[in-house]
Amino acid sequence: MHDTHNITSLMTMLVLQLAAILVATRIVGHLAQRYLKQPRVMGEMVAGMIIGPFALGALRLPGLGVPLFPVAEGLIPVSPQLYGFSVVASIVLLFLAGLETDLPTFLKFSGLGGVVGLGGVVVSFVVGALVAVLMLPGVQSVAHPSALFLGVLATATSVGITARILSEQKKMATPEAVTILSAAVLDDVIGIILLAVVVGVVQTEAAGGTLDWAAIGMVALKAFGFWLIATVLGILIAPRLTRGLKAFQSMEVTVGTTFGIALFLAGLSEMVGLAMIIGAYVAGLSLSQTDVAHELQERMSGVYEFLVPIFFAVMGMMVDFRALGPVLVVGAVYAVAVILAKVVGAGVPALLTGFTPRGALRVGAGMLPRGEVSLIIAGIGLSSGAIGADLFGVAVLTMLVSTLVAPPILVRSFQGAPGFRRRTEEKGAGEMTTVGLEFPSAITADFFRRSLVRSFRDEEFFVYRVDHQQTLYHIRKDDIHITLRQDSGRIEVTTSPRHEQYVRLMMVEETLQLKEMLDSLQTMSRPDAMGQSLLGGLLD
Amino acid sequence: MNIRKALTLQTVTVNLPGTTKQEVIEALVDLASAGGKVKDRAAALDAVLAREARMTTGLEHGVAIPHGKTDAVDELVAAVGITREPVDFAALDGNPCRIFVMTISSIHRTGPHIQFLSEISRLLKSADVRDRLLAARDNRTLLSLLQG
Repeated sequence: MHDTHNITSLMTMLVLQLAAILVATRIVGHLAQRYLKQPRVMGEMVAGMIIGPFALGALRLPGLGVPLFPVAEGLIPVSPQLYGFSVVASIVLLFLAGLETDLPTFLKFSGLGGVVGLGGVVVSFVVGALVAVLMLPGVQSVAHPSALFLGVLATATSVGITARILSEQKKMATPEAVTILSAAVLDDVIGIILLAVVVGVVQTEAAGGTLDWAAIGMVALKAFGFWLIATVLGILIAPRLTRGLKAFQSMEVTVGTTFGIALFLAGLSEMVGLAMIIGAYVAGLSLSQTDVAHELQERMSGVYEFLVPIFFAVMGMMVDFRALGPVLVVGAVYAVAVILAKVVGAGVPALLTGFTPRGALRVGAGMLPRGEVSLIIAGIGLSSGAIGADLFGVAVLTMLVSTLVAPPILVRSFQGAPGFRRRTEEKGAGEMTTVGLEFPSAITADFFRRSLVRSFRDEEFFVYRVDHQQTLYHIRKDDIHITLRQDSGRIEVTTSPRHEQYVRLMMVEETLQLKEMLDSLQTMSRPDAMGQSLLGGLLD
Repeated sequence: MNIRKALTLQTVTVNLPGTTKQEVIEALVDLASAGGKVKDRAAALDAVLAREARMTTGLEHGVAIPHGKTDAVDELVAAVGITREPVDFAALDGNPCRIFVMTISSIHRTGPHIQFLSEISRLLKSADVRDRLLAARDNRTLLSLLQG
């Protein structure tokens, strides 16, 4: 009897917490986006901080008698069941991130972006870890778990914010933007492999293992090996798997099974000593090659919309403001150091490969915003005990600060002359043309956009959905760079004047598809006849 | 690159017969078939006419780009013809056309067709190029103008 009561009260708390989170994240997220021009996720995280166990959530609620968000015992200050939601959300996030990364096609066109991404990752990792060694008592070596985590935390880039700003400024097809987008894709991959290595090292150390570099090398090799083998196997198996699943002739079966596999791989990677998100990412990466990738993304978006605000809110809730006091100085130094490290680390390779100093600054600034990946890493650090509440707070605040400072720097740096030396002599370099189409409704625009995206994919273009909260795609093949943006009923496609004809002709093909659909609708028996036959049956 | 590959001396003419849309398209399909890559002339003609019926391919400045997709070809087949007299092609600007660029592509691959047409339209954007095409006296000159 007692147990039944206990589980019921736990579940009651959980649904009340979820209710509070959903309402608060939606409202604060909307306000942040609308009035402060900040990404919605920032608002969602702040909402979590406000209603979390270290702020309003600690107040006793009248009628409830207890706080809505009591501080839970152990490493994670929220209840295990609520934390479970955020873990599943992080798997969804990384599954979708992998799904959007068309790796083989991307690698074909990476080039310069790869160098920039690698530079940004390496320099910020080293600087992040060094700040820990120099400023944290008890951390003597870069191999210390705290140093490793602060290093990895400094690496991840969230390019959604940059993409939004560049798209608003009509700069998406500039050499700088193209480099940033490619670099950010690589950043994710390297960041996640690095995380795998760090989790491996931390677990070895927790088990009383040695700390020498040879041992770390072995762990790194194992982590990288797992990632590589799983990815290669996945890419080989995924097309066969989806073909097999099609026999069921049900997209629900395909979506359910593939997400099930993502969860399975997430569990498996945790069991072999890597982080869960690595398995989820590999599952997405493998499926990104299949023809159901786009459909999966669309179908998962409902789950995403529900779970992801919970993830950001829970991350905000885990910030213990009291723990921040003693580490404020370290935190400030860390934030400034990793911001500079990212700009320098990404900017210097850009400078060496043909960008002007201004162009290099743009590339560096574009790599600044951090997002979900760094939060997930911080969460893993906290739950594994590698970092405490203080460093977790530092990580979250660094993410907030770097995301806040990036937009003004970006907007200002992108004013003025082109930033790529080799192309400045070319006539019309950096100029863009936009082809816009107005549709009578968002539904028709959706149809057109999906069909256009599919056609670009069929033509072996690398199609990358930049962010889930905005319908914005980056599409590229060889030297053709295209931005596709949908704003309810309006579709805008931007490219360089040299490829305008190509884009126009692709769009003509799609309008023909649309016309064909409309024609086929008209051959359908008359809707009013259908309506009459339905109404006629009402009184029978 | 595509223009170079897709057009030969057999598939361009400065003397395209025809005074109506139908006649011009038939003449273009014949011209394209001269390259030997069209397996079924009737199917190819049907495809181009069907596409034309859905939306006119008469552009502006006297240029038209009739095209179609069919199983009758395995790869992109193209033809370019100039008519002596302007032909009413229901063009976007209402003017009759004299420069005709036709492509017939496989149902399965539209990429090369779009690539080809985008290269041609980039070329035909220039009034100077259009004037020189119209002034070309023989097929060889026409081909070399098209291939830049």
